[in-house]
Amino acid sequence: MSVGKEFIKGMVRENPVFRLLLGLCPVLATSSSVMNAIGMGVSVIFVLVASNTLVSLLRNFIPPKIRIPIYISIIATFVTVVDLIMAGFFPDLHKSLGMFIKLIVVNCIILGRAEAFASKNNTFYAIIDGLGMGIGFTFSMIIIATIRELLGNGTWLNMPVFGTQFEPVLIFVLAPGAFITLGFIIGGMNWLDHRRAAIATKS
Amino acid sequence: MKEIFKFALVLGLVTGIAACALGVVNQITQPRIALQQQLALNAGLYRVLPGSENGCIIEQHLDGLNMYYTGYLNRDTTDFIGYALPVESKGYSSTIRTLVGLDSLRNIISLKILFQQETPGLGTKCEEVRPGETEPWFQYQFKGLFVPDVALDKNGGSIHCITGATITSAAITDAVKESSVKLFSEL
Repeated sequence: MSVGKEFIKGMVRENPVFRLLLGLCPVLATSSSVMNAIGMGVSVIFVLVASNTLVSLLRNFIPPKIRIPIYISIIATFVTVVDLIMAGFFPDLHKSLGMFIKLIVVNCIILGRAEAFASKNNTFYAIIDGLGMGIGFTFSMIIIATIRELLGNGTWLNMPVFGTQFEPVLIFVLAPGAFITLGFIIGGMNWLDHRRAAIATKS
Repeated sequence: MKEIFKFALVLGLVTGIAACALGVVNQITQPRIALQQQLALNAGLYRVLPGSENGCIIEQHLDGLNMYYTGYLNRDTTDFIGYALPVESKGYSSTIRTLVGLDSLRNIISLKILFQQETPGLGTKCEEVRPGETEPWFQYQFKGLFVPDVALDKNGGSIHCITGATITSAAITDAVKESSVKLFSEL
């Protein structure tokens, strides 16, 4: 097990959004602007690293039969911390992310990493895994949000990109745009994979 | 049997520690959150009492069960702008807090939703600003309405329901009307 490998796997090979298809609800709902994507991503990184750390530290203490309620309690605690801090210090972001911050509790990535990784590995690797997965999640969110905000609103991080002539393609900031964007990205990644595999078998 | 006590103890311990930690975080963030709510309320008051942002007087009144604000344009309190009435209503998944600006002739000056956590994509459209417009369309519909005429379109009024969010629409509309009528009957 190498540190670099555990860290990098969340970016491409085991990317939570494009590869594991986990936590898609907040991805689809809050990727309409890059600002929201960053806010959501940073919240997920914090909760993921914190819960991975604690689950890994307590892994010999948690009775296996009640591990899920304990994981959920730990995750819910950190999510509430994020929610309170955001409400106090970033009210606008808190308003636009709304319910989705609280819904991080049921985000499959976090429970998934606690169950599949943190509960079986030492704390150092659990933190690296949480960071890698969290950054991979944020990175994917920013990609989707960039496409959606550019096409659907003509802006990037609220800065106008195209001239006044640009007519925004509204559908991209609406819900169907999220599905379309995500579908094309996953399709593109699979196509690249198949091509690479085909070339490998030929040679 | 012994196992179950062990489980209860462990789970109790974990949630107990979590509760303590949250208590501490709450202590720290509470003043900030209260400040943010005050700022949002002030912004709302300026919004529903137009002209009030340039050095006007807004006073809070408490009489009996009613709490409302009055806005005057200048210090000698002759130029009356109107009343601002905070309204709370039980929506579909949250308590919706609204601020209504009313003039002395019982017309709604404007309406501002201060807080809601309704269903994303449905009830949250009560704050949706349509592309190319500057104001949330649902709230804009209340502008200039005579208080007794406030009603949803299916009840013979002029307020268009939010598609898929009848409960949210009705909660806001009914509470705004009820509270405003009550305020004027007791003034």
